[in-house]
Amino acid sequence: MKSKVSNKSNAGIITLGEFKKIPGYPEEDDFSKGPIAVIECDQDIPCNPCEEICKYGAIKVGKPITNLPVLDAEKCRGCLKCITICPGLCIFVVYRDYTDKTSLIYIPYEFSPLPEKNTYVDVLNRRGEKICKGSIRKVIKLAGSNKTFVIGMEIPKKFYNTARHFEF
Amino acid sequence: MSDFVIIGAGPAGISAANESARYGVKVTLIDENNLPGGQLFTQTHKFFGSREHRAGVRGFQIGYDLIEEINKLNVDVLLDTIVYGISADMEVKYVTEGSSAKSITAGNILISTGALEKPVVFKGWTKPGVMGAGAAQTMMNVHRVLPGRKVLMVGSGNVGLIVAYQLKQAGADVVGIIEAMPSIGGYKVHASKIRRIGIPILTSCTIKEAKGSPQVSSAVIVGVDKNLREISGTEDEIKCDLVCIAAGLKPFDELCWLLNLEFKYINELGGFVPVHNDDLETSMKNIYIAGDAAGVEEASTAMEEGRLVGVAVAQKLEYLSDRQAEKLKGKINDRLKYLRLGSFGKKRAEGKKKLTSISK
Amino acid sequence: MADKRTSIIVCRCEEITDEEVRKAVKEGATSVDAVKRVTRAGMGLCQSKICYLNIAKIIHEETGIPVSKLIPMKHRIPVRPVKIGDLDN
Repeated sequence: MKSKVSNKSNAGIITLGEFKKIPGYPEEDDFSKGPIAVIECDQDIPCNPCEEICKYGAIKVGKPITNLPVLDAEKCRGCLKCITICPGLCIFVVYRDYTDKTSLIYIPYEFSPLPEKNTYVDVLNRRGEKICKGSIRKVIKLAGSNKTFVIGMEIPKKFYNTARHFEF
Repeated sequence: MSDFVIIGAGPAGISAANESARYGVKVTLIDENNLPGGQLFTQTHKFFGSREHRAGVRGFQIGYDLIEEINKLNVDVLLDTIVYGISADMEVKYVTEGSSAKSITAGNILISTGALEKPVVFKGWTKPGVMGAGAAQTMMNVHRVLPGRKVLMVGSGNVGLIVAYQLKQAGADVVGIIEAMPSIGGYKVHASKIRRIGIPILTSCTIKEAKGSPQVSSAVIVGVDKNLREISGTEDEIKCDLVCIAAGLKPFDELCWLLNLEFKYINELGGFVPVHNDDLETSMKNIYIAGDAAGVEEASTAMEEGRLVGVAVAQKLEYLSDRQAEKLKGKINDRLKYLRLGSFGKKRAEGKKKLTSISK
Repeated sequence: MADKRTSIIVCRCEEITDEEVRKAVKEGATSVDAVKRVTRAGMGLCQSKICYLNIAKIIHEETGIPVSKLIPMKHRIPVRPVKIGDLDN
């Protein structure tokens, strides 16, 4: 919608400055150990299934359940389970050093049809803007994921903090 | 004669039926639809909350689970049935589709009739192609009819955000969400998933007109200032065939007004709400209220409120000892407390407090 | 603002316009019930489920009475549409 009404709204956008402060966001160094959960949850909503589903104890919410989820990067194995359980679809798994030049971003996906493996796609940022091209590498249906699929897309490394969706 | 007549089999009503029938109460559950479960069947998204609140499970699946539970219990369920009145001597008057009016005398009554969508008046709001977001959600998720191809969503509370997302999932093109306030009303995570799939959200913006004859073919939107006054010159015409209104809900309490119950106006709960005590009993003895009808919240709190009434009625009819009942209520109240925490829940908790404090 | 909205329907069932309700309020109908008696707004199939808030808002705009003081119109049995034939028992 190209509108004369100003659309500078940051509604629903976690800005670069903000996400570094979120307790579910890994530190820069944590990305070097392999795939890691990125929990973009910054509102005190009463909710804790991410804590329950993590069998490695890497996500801590505690009581009250309005606490923000805190990520323990040491314990996270990048198993993708939390992606599928989060009702807010706000957890991603980022494998920054997938190759020398590319990262692999795992995103929750609830649309039909599913992309096929190796589809060349437009990669979108948090504002839905096309930022680069990417390739779908994984289309995963985890047991118990209840129709939330996990899509792994390979993207140029510099976009690992911004790429959050795709279009094909 | 029935121990307990429940009017409305949504999340609150069906939970109250299950909870009270479990302890032996003879329950009659009435609903106007052909399936109990109410709005749970429009909710294809996963619920927030904790394990006790079935977090991560989709709404309609919770609906099926509640139906499975009720089928195992001895509950008299009257479907396709509207209640058109309650008399002062607890006679519930109803009509089941295809049969003539009947009535049943109730020992206790729960009014769990849910909420209604608030209208927004603008030029063209009565045209075909303008509808409530909840209506669109019912058409799409229950009846499998896509109500439009190109949609403008008016309102950014959780209902507006969720329904916009579901319209997109169902194959519609959502051209945008507009919100009159300077910031969105719903959860940020819901807005985030809308934004990253490319749906814009315009804040400080309202709808001025729906155009088209007779069916909507475009909408005129306009920017507003902090006092919600239109800023002339900022009008813009947007092509769409569906304008969805998500301007909030109000408790649907016509049976309570009919009974002349005591009401209080609580803005955070959607407007006029029947005053009730901690057991959710209203100003009239043996008449209970639960769910959105007792103040607009969400489905998880509705289910807990329903259970609370179920326990209270089982206690009153001596199917539960006071000690057993207080223990059960304590657990339910703890869970309710958790659902009303945080910056979103806090306002509702304060509203509820205003409501129950007067009746003491 | 009022004059721009004159021909907009506020009560869909009875097709009562903003202008008609405003006129009634100016003439002294300052409750939802009073507006109903003067204009028929709220007397249709939905029994004011939809238009109650629209009417309350107009009364508020014209008189300054807060919406929190404007209770819905009087409800009577049957509160839902019922066929006369169905009541015959």
